Amino acid sequence: MNRLKLISGHLSPGGSAAPLPDLRSFDCGCAAPSPGDEVVVVHGRRTAIGKAKKGSFKDTTPDELLSAVMTAVLKDVGLSPDQLGDVCVGNVLQPGAGALMARVAHFLSGFPEKVPVYTVNRQCSSGLQALLNIAGSIRSGSIQLGLACGVESMSLRSMGDPGDLSSGLSANAKARDCLIPMGVTSENVAERFGVSRRQQDSFALDSQIKAARARDSGRFDREIVPVSVTVRDESGRERRLEVRTDEGIRAGTTLEDLARLRPAFKPDGTTTAGNSSQVSDGAAAVLLGRRAAVEELGLPVLGVLRGSAVVGVPPDLMGVGPALAIPAALQQAGLKVNDIDVFEINEAFASQVCVCVCELSLGGAIALGHPLGCTGARQVVTLLNELRRRGRRAFGVVSMCIGTGMGAAAVFEFPGP
Amino acid sequence: YLMTTMKVFRCPGRHGYAVEASPFLPNRLACAASQYYGITGSGSLFVLDQTETGVVLVRSWQWGDGLFDVAWSEANEHVLVAGGGDGSLQLWDSANQNAPLKVAKEHTQEVYSVDWSQTRAENLIASGSWDRSVKVWDQNLSRSLVTLRGHEGVVYSSIWSPHIPGCIASASGDGTLRVWDVKAAACRLAVPAHKAEILSCDWCKYDQNLVATGSVDCSVCVWDLRNVTQPVNQLLGHNYAIRRVKPAKANEALFDGNSLTLMSDLPLSPDGRFQQNIQSV
Repeated sequence: MNRLKLISGHLSPGGSAAPLPDLRSFDCGCAAPSPGDEVVVVHGRRTAIGKAKKGSFKDTTPDELLSAVMTAVLKDVGLSPDQLGDVCVGNVLQPGAGALMARVAHFLSGFPEKVPVYTVNRQCSSGLQALLNIAGSIRSGSIQLGLACGVESMSLRSMGDPGDLSSGLSANAKARDCLIPMGVTSENVAERFGVSRRQQDSFALDSQIKAARARDSGRFDREIVPVSVTVRDESGRERRLEVRTDEGIRAGTTLEDLARLRPAFKPDGTTTAGNSSQVSDGAAAVLLGRRAAVEELGLPVLGVLRGSAVVGVPPDLMGVGPALAIPAALQQAGLKVNDIDVFEINEAFASQVCVCVCELSLGGAIALGHPLGCTGARQVVTLLNELRRRGRRAFGVVSMCIGTGMGAAAVFEFPGP
Repeated sequence: YLMTTMKVFRCPGRHGYAVEASPFLPNRLACAASQYYGITGSGSLFVLDQTETGVVLVRSWQWGDGLFDVAWSEANEHVLVAGGGDGSLQLWDSANQNAPLKVAKEHTQEVYSVDWSQTRAENLIASGSWDRSVKVWDQNLSRSLVTLRGHEGVVYSSIWSPHIPGCIASASGDGTLRVWDVKAAACRLAVPAHKAEILSCDWCKYDQNLVATGSVDCSVCVWDLRNVTQPVNQLLGHNYAIRRVKPAKANEALFDGNSLTLMSDLPLSPDGRFQQNIQSV
């Protein structure tokens, strides 16, 4: 029953035609969809995050990582892939953002040809953008259910080739700034906002500790899909292993260890390998749907998408992205910072997270790693699992800064057990 | 001059829906509250103690939907029952548990009223819901024992008679006050008490025949169930709907939950009229 309608009926005293002078009730006609039209998250899984070039996924192609999570998510909820209206995959480094790779992964997963798939590249936010794209298709009514994924192999590809750019770039300061290495933007942020080396190292230490604690207490067990892979060693010998643990976490890290590292991007700088996110491999997938369709199929509701925003920021200070994207997303969701129980902000660099000043409960990319296209989707999986673990209705935010100067954020609600 | 010190308990982001004093512990209160005025969001249940200087939080719990009413157990000083916007009743134990002892989900709409029978032998719980029914439950909320149907609108209030065993009065959006015989599962009386929704009703504590109703028409009426053709008294003067009426146990004062108007000195004079002395807080 519409409570608002019922209760506003109490405001007009019976029999009196005119409403009381100071009292009016308005039908807001706000943009909020009716409950059946809400975009809900059904389920999500991720692979472990491997260390690029040295870790267990170093010889694994991204289609294999992607296929592992795509199949696991659907199998867990017993949904046949032919029910999907679309699949969107975030990816950055593969040629053409992995469009061909994704279709191959699709067939490797045994998905039927009639289900379409595409990829999206908004740099570090690609995994989240994939989710927002699927949500958009659901909202516009073109699909009922969709899979949003993200995958990256930074072992097999790196951020080498900037593509074909106009020579006019050199005369345009902002365009030029897009080529600044990410680490240098971190130095810019640290300098502009006065974040010291010590602060960054403390933050990094904290991230390692939280991630180790989360891993050791089994908090990630539910969300990680074990993947069987082949690893080749220097002599060319191959062995098979099953990867089920995040490899980036350095549990025994101390402040002294971090202090010893040399600045990686600027001679007298503060950003080091220890207080930056790691280069990694991984994949994640999230199943989304229109609430009415999800409930009709008897599928669970793990979370509800309440709002999102993507904003542009100076390319040379890209790290501040979340600081602008988060308020914009909260405003869209009609919420305040105090309403949020957990923030999952990608830790591209400690400098930028210190500036964004929000709490992470599980440790992030500094400890876990940042497989570019995967991260956004991975954050959603981790966030919703953590809200579910806490066992009561709660709100969470996923956010990240984006290379070339943007920030993205999305607000999710865990509806309660 | 009513109160020189006002003791206040504040909880940001929560709007109070019901307060009940513990039948066992003199300074203890239970309070059911909801987010966003109960229109949407979650709910909280508070157990509070009044001290000399203020109000102290003893215990609180969160619920996934708004909580609209609370009642203390008459058998166990730690137990309370609350009714929620999700149609559930929950049994809570303030001594021990973080989670409810029991959750009963039978009502298909919001539960707006819960009441624990005061007749010691009974130990039954009554719930009134927007699904138009009143249900009676055992004290463990195992399952409903009786479902009372008849109201043609949402039920806002369902209260056990403190005098007559197995007797419930209910107030509804259909404008009627109904009196039910639980054993027979039948409605004994349906009084078209107001031309607007009736948000609250309660029994007079000193006369088993009297029931007060509070309505959206801004009036409080007192009814003698032996003759319901018209009310024995009609109390006017409010400008807004009456949210709650509660005849007090002593000194015949009537608390009106709407604007905290304390109407004192209301003995029922022989000709059936109240002497009114209205003070507003």
